[in-house]
Formats: sequence, C-alpha cells, structure tokens
Amino acid sequence: MVHRPKPKEFKDDFWKSKNIKLSIGDIIEKQGTEEAPESMGPTPKPNVTDLRSWDMKLLERYEPFYAPFCDMCCLCTYGKCDLTAGKKGACGIDIKAQQARIVLLACCIGSAAHSGHARHLLDYLIGKKGIDFPVDLGMNIEIEAPIMRVLLGKKPKTLGDLREALDYLEEQMVHLLSACHTGQEGSSEDFESKAFQAGLMDNLGKEIGDIAQIVALNMPKGEDAPLVELGFGTINKEKPVVLCIGHNVAPGAGIIDYLEDKDLEDDVEVCGICCAALDITRYNKSAKVVGPISKQLKFVRSGVADVIVVDEQCVRTDVLEEAKKNKAAVIATTDKICLGLPDLTNEDADKIVKQLVNEEIEGALILDPDKVGEVASRVAMQIAKDREALKILPDLDEIQEMAKECTECGWCQRVCPNSQPMMDAVMDASKGDFSKFIELYENDVCYTCGRCEQECERDLPLISMLTKIGEHYVKDEKYNVRAGRGPVQDVEIRRVGAPIVLGDIPGVIAFVGCTNYPEGGEDVAKMAEEFLERNYIVVTSGCGAMTVGEYRNEEGKTLYERYSGDFDAKGLVNVGSCVSNAHIPGACIKIANIFAKKPLEGNFEEIADYILNRVGACGVAWGAYSQKAAAIATGVNRWGIPVVVGPHGTKYRRLFLGRTDKPETWKLNDLRTGEVIDGEPAPEHLLYAAENRGEATVMIAKLCIRPNDTSKGRQIKLNHYLDLHKKYFGTLPDDVYRFVRNDKDIPITYKKEVLAMLEEKGWEPRALPQEPSTMDFREKSEGK
Amino acid sequence: MNERVIPWQPTVIAGPKQALLVTPETAEMMLQKAKRPLMVIGPLIKDSPILGLATSIADKWNIPIVSTGDAFKSLNEAGVESKPYGVVEIVNLLKDPDWKGITGEGQHDLVMFIGVIYYIGSQGLSTLKHFAPHLKTLTLCKYFHSNADASFPNMKDEAWIRYLEKLAE
Repeated sequence: MVHRPKPKEFKDDFWKSKNIKLSIGDIIEKQGTEEAPESMGPTPKPNVTDLRSWDMKLLERYEPFYAPFCDMCCLCTYGKCDLTAGKKGACGIDIKAQQARIVLLACCIGSAAHSGHARHLLDYLIGKKGIDFPVDLGMNIEIEAPIMRVLLGKKPKTLGDLREALDYLEEQMVHLLSACHTGQEGSSEDFESKAFQAGLMDNLGKEIGDIAQIVALNMPKGEDAPLVELGFGTINKEKPVVLCIGHNVAPGAGIIDYLEDKDLEDDVEVCGICCAALDITRYNKSAKVVGPISKQLKFVRSGVADVIVVDEQCVRTDVLEEAKKNKAAVIATTDKICLGLPDLTNEDADKIVKQLVNEEIEGALILDPDKVGEVASRVAMQIAKDREALKILPDLDEIQEMAKECTECGWCQRVCPNSQPMMDAVMDASKGDFSKFIELYENDVCYTCGRCEQECERDLPLISMLTKIGEHYVKDEKYNVRAGRGPVQDVEIRRVGAPIVLGDIPGVIAFVGCTNYPEGGEDVAKMAEEFLERNYIVVTSGCGAMTVGEYRNEEGKTLYERYSGDFDAKGLVNVGSCVSNAHIPGACIKIANIFAKKPLEGNFEEIADYILNRVGACGVAWGAYSQKAAAIATGVNRWGIPVVVGPHGTKYRRLFLGRTDKPETWKLNDLRTGEVIDGEPAPEHLLYAAENRGEATVMIAKLCIRPNDTSKGRQIKLNHYLDLHKKYFGTLPDDVYRFVRNDKDIPITYKKEVLAMLEEKGWEPRALPQEPSTMDFREKSEGK
Repeated sequence: MNERVIPWQPTVIAGPKQALLVTPETAEMMLQKAKRPLMVIGPLIKDSPILGLATSIADKWNIPIVSTGDAFKSLNEAGVESKPYGVVEIVNLLKDPDWKGITGEGQHDLVMFIGVIYYIGSQGLSTLKHFAPHLKTLTLCKYFHSNADASFPNMKDEAWIRYLEKLAE
C-alpha cells in the first residue's frame, strides 16, 4: 500500500517557506490542476483535535448548559443506567458527558444527512456532467467555496475537486462517530469539541452539495432570483400533480426534464414540500412550492397529489401508508428511504408504469432520477382522471357526526407537542361550530404532526378533519417566495463588509431551517420584518424562507415583494434550500477575506476569531426539530456565529450560555497593542433558546453587538437593542452599561436615560479595542 | 401507575427520579423551610388572573420575582416588581452554587416556577434536578412536572385556583 502523506505532515517551515506545487494524493494524477496557495495556515484539513484549542476558548466563555431529556443512558447492554444524583453509568460516564455524547451523536446524524446527500448528488452529477465539469460561479464570485478554502486550503476547479473535500469530510465523520461508542471519550468538553467538528463537517458538506448542484444544474449563481409561486392555492388540481418531498433535487429535475423533453410541461403540475421544493424552483421557475414541512401531512391527506416522489430527509416515514389512503402512487428515489418497496431501478419504465397504474405494487424504489422523471410523470397523467372522483376527506356533516363520538378524554391535547386545544375544537365541531378548528388550521398553529390521532381512543381522523375544515381557505393560500439565489457575490461583500464590521449595518440575521411551531411562520416573518425595517440584512433558507413568503401585510404584499433580494441593508436574501445554509457562514468568511484580507487557506481559527469579534451575524432557527438543525447551529457556532432557537430547542439538551457576572470570561487580547483588555459580553451567548418571539427579538438584536464596533456602529446597534427592549419589555435594559465603552457609544435618542443608568451603576469609560481577539497573542502561540 | 403522577405531557417522564406530588400544605412547609426562595413567572400567566394569585404568594412570603420570556412588561404594568431573565439564563445561574442570587445575598435554596411554557420548563427543571443539588424546585402550574422536586398534580382551573389561594392566604 502506498503511503500518502497528509498535508498536515508538512505543516512546518518547509511547507510555509517553499512555494511548491502540491503533488500528493489525487492531485498527482492531475498535474497542473492545482497550485499550493502562497501561504498555508496552521490547520489545513484539520483533524478531530486540531481545532480543539479554539473550541476550549469558546467553551470557557460559553460553558455548555445541559438540560437532559432523559435521566438515563440506554446505548449499551450494561444499561439502562441511572445517571441521576451524581451516579455514573456502568461504563463510567456521567450525566454531563452523556448529554454531550448525545449532542455529538445528533450532530453526526445531521452532518451525515447533509453530507450523505452531497455525496449522492455529487456522484450523480459527475456521472451526468463529467468529473472535469468546471466549478464556475460566474464573474462576480471568485471565492466560490469559502468553507472548503479554509478547511482544505484548496480552490475547487471541477466537480472532481469537490470529491477530495468529501473524502476528507467522510474520514472525519467516521472518527467522530466512533467517539460516541461506549468506553471512548469521557469528557463533556471534548465531546463538545468533537460536536463542533461534526458541525463544521456539516457546513462543508452543505457547501459541496450546493455548489455541485448550482454549477451542474445551472441554478442561480448569486444573482437576483425570480419570484416563484408558493402555497396550496397555487397548485392546479385540474392537472395531474406530482409532489416531491425531501431534500434532493435530482428526481425533481428528472421530472422537469422529462416533461420538457416531451413538451408536456404545461400538462403536469410539479410541486414540492421542504427543500426539494426550493431546489426544483431554482432549477425551473415553473415548479411550485406547496410549503414547509408543516404542510406535509395536510397536503398528502388532501389527496391533491397523484404521485408522491420522496427523496431524503424530513419525509414522513409513514408516507406510503398515508398515500395509500387516497390511492396516490409513491416513488422512493434514494438509498436513504426505500420504504420496503421493490427496487425497480433496472426495470423497463413501461412495466413500472403499468404496475403502478394497475396497483399491482404499492410503490416503487427507482434509484435513477431520469427514470423517476419518466415514471412519475406518466403515472400521474394516467391515474389523475380516476382519482378525481376519489372521496378524499370527510365532508363537514360527517365531521360533525364523527365529533360527537369524542369521549372528552383530553389525551389529544396532552400528547400535543404544544398542548393545543384539539379536544375543544372537536367538542365545538360536534355542535357544528368549526371556529376552533379554523384557529388550529390558520398559521399552522397545528403543524399536523399527528400525535393526537395516535392517541384518540375513538380513532377520529383529526388531521383529516382539520384539513377538510381548512379546505375553504386553500384558495387564498397563494403567495410567492424568491427562488434561492445561492451564494452572496464578492462584489456585495466588498460593498457591505465595512459597514457590517464597523457596525453601520447593525447585523446580518439568518432565519434558517424549520418553522415547526404554532404560528412559527408568522413569528419568523414578523421578526424578519422587524429587522428589515431597521436596516439589518435578513437572510433566509429552507422552510424558514418559505414561511416568510406566507406572511402578507395589509396591502397583501409579502416581504419578498416589499424588499429587494440584495445582500445589503434592508435586503431579504433567500439563499436557497438547507444545503444553501453554507453560504451564510460563507458570507462571513468572505468578509474576513475580502474586507480584512485575512488569508483563508488552512486558517480556520483566525477566520473564526474575526467573525466572533467583528461580524455582527446571528442565526435563528425558530422551529428547529431535527438533528440537521443541531449540526447546522453547532457548525456556525464554531465559526463564532451565535444562534437563537425556539423553546423546543432546549430539547437538543445543550445550549452555550455566557455569564455576564463573570467579567474575566470577557477579557480580550488586543492584537494591535499586545494588551489584555476588558471586553463586554458580545456576543453574550452562542446558542440560546428563547421562550417566545418577544424575547427572541430582543436577544437577536443584542447578539449582533461585537467588540469591534466603532462608536457610531455601537450607537446604532444599541439604539435597536434599546428600542426593541422597550417595545417588548416596556423598559430600557438594565445591562446597557455593559455595552457602553464611552460617551460616544450612547444612542442620541436615549442619551439622558442611559447617562442616568450609567451613573447609577457607577460606570467608568474604557478604551475601544483596536484589534479585539480571542486568540492567543502570537508570541504565546509560538511558544516564545 | 396512579393517574395523578403522570406528567401533563406523559412523554416527559425522564427516568427513575420523579417529583413529589404536593398539596398547598406541603408546599407551604417547603416555603417555611426555605431561607432564600425565588419565584419565576413565565409568559403564560402574564395576562391571566392567576398572575394576581402568584404575586400575592410572592408578597406573603417576601419572595423576589424573576419574569421570563416577555412577561416583564405585563408584570411591570401591573405594578409587580420583577427582574427579567430568559428562562434558560436564570436556570443557568441557579445551577451555579456560587451565584449570588437575585438580591446579591447568596444562591437561592427554593425556586418556584409558574407560567413557563411546559416543555421548556420541564427541560429547565431537568437541568436543576441534575446540576443544582443545592436547591429545591417547586412548580405552581396546573400541570404535574415530573422533573421538579415537588409539583402540583394535573388540575382543572377551579382546583388550581383553590391551591394557589391556600398558599396566598
């Protein structure tokens, strides 16, 4: 076996001083395709422990807060082990390390979901376009893969180059997952460090996946994207309907290609739920977005979809059972979700169509996206007519009769994740009053998880009843969302880099992931509106991007119609699906590089330190539920970006909270002067769960404050923080003195009140840092 | 299992250690024993008549109040003095035995929760159950919280109001 040295093995003076060309691994076979960067930072292809020292700095300031979901460990045959009251498991693990282990496991699962998707997609696209297909994002984007540049020290020029990044990622993931085994890691801090690495791999995997699909499928490359249709009401039921659910664009693209090839694009409605929906609209704007994950069961139950194509992630695992209720055909398309269906990938398309149309099979597993395109389209066209007469949902009279069977046991409400009043709605419905059902329907107050149905002792089809009662409103559910634009352009970064770092643009707020929360979509849209009005840059992706589009003002306009798609103050940028999230830390990394000239290659810690101390960005995942969300948040946390989650986020078991009563944790190293200086709690927390929208809004504004703000920038940021605190709490915040460094930081509109508060606290002015950093001084890091 | 000790959301049962079911009388005994109690009021009762009962209990026992979520505004408008914290922030401070408490006189030894969203409250109580052996937790909500040290049972509004009235008398 040939020994292939890793770049790290050259991580000494030789590596740094010689401007040599790389000639290792895959690159030796592709001479001339890659040059070593002029300077490589200290951590190219960082291994599991290479960024551990950075992690420990974060963990010292933002000590993990654990909220165990379970008192026990049940991962091995020693157990179950009781970990309460200081007891350790039979393997020696304590409750803290066990929580951190579960967090690592969740991050590994989440990261694997994105990265497995990226691997799947990349291999498919390489098969379609060739290994040398160029990674070209156009004239306005030179830094096409900022995360990959930092981690691998390499600029990807072809799809094949992305494979090298995936090889590295997959190697890391195996090590990380192995650390979860019984009898391995025992320190909660080290589990967290590994969770950070898993999150970082998640960021990388998403970047690889999105870049691959952008370049190979010609999706928007950072330019302003068109508005596309969104909502139940936009789906034309008169046509055969193919519904794509999940996160992989390939089968959806296969359907669109088939319909175009056969000149049938006007004859079949192609729509989607979750990220597959966003990605097919990036591929072809005629596709439609039904909505976020909270619409899934409702839409499937409605029976509108003739064919349901599932790919991967966020798909209801009982989709086949649900589809059978109204005779919709199901096609599974990836190795991640096979649903027990026969693998007909190599079967003749005519035969598969016939079997599905004649209901000889429950559904089909077809792993070839092009064949999926043909089969799904043909089956939809053939069965749509027969399904027209299908009685899908009970009518209103039937619902009233069903409701009379309710025994008022109340368990539907007790098992509801949000204790919503389902029983009350049923009781009123039994008297012909559907108003409480309507309240549950509107704004996805009930996000249709279906737990109530499982519990009902009368087997009432509560979600079907809800869907029928809401049917009347479907016609009004017509909105639009701006199609995902992909990365932020370098030219935009040049324009906004300085105002963001100096604080003139008060922050970049990213609403990502699910909005699975009662009124979660409206909450997110209202938060987005609040910050847009205040000149922040607002970024959206995934289901969050869709639900923002479901909110209209009094004039009937959505936020996408009211605000531009520019990455600039008052801009509302939809980057795309969940894999497009990578462009958000990507934009922060670009700010460090383009604005501050920080080298990217192998230079993770310096870049993350820059973001933590100078880029006022904050992520928000309001209805996050999945392991992917855990990985996303943990990944961006490691880059120094704080995240606010909704109240269910505490069930992730771990937050990162700062302590304002411990001033020693906020000390900063001023790299310009070489002095240790007093800092402020900025950002105060790294991962924070808010109890409601009001609290979240105020916290988001506060978490945009950074040590590097100029006085003008600090004034602006504090002005928003004070305004919002006054709006939601009725008073000015009593911690404002922590963020005022001198008189010039005080917002003019609040000068008198703030001065009085400062006097009361015995406040003293302090100097502004010149180059605030959480990194060690260079002499120390070099051991001098 | 006795119906009365199933948590309101049955799936929050976390393991072998579950809350003691208390009556107003036993809750009163816990209050009498406490040297530095604290009351945490969440946003679910910020606009409710229950708020009056909760503040009466705080008044009677001279207990400082922390408001979570955005409850502070409603409390302030109702003339109730409180300190605003996020529920995870106050729990984080409560788990540190060295924290000086709301009044700066030292860490609290009994914390009563009311009006915090059930599942986030349950998670916070779990934190305190595992990491704050120096304090006891008591919930005054109308739902049984298994992660607390002591909790009221699942109740209808009328019974709940009677319980709170007894503590406030």
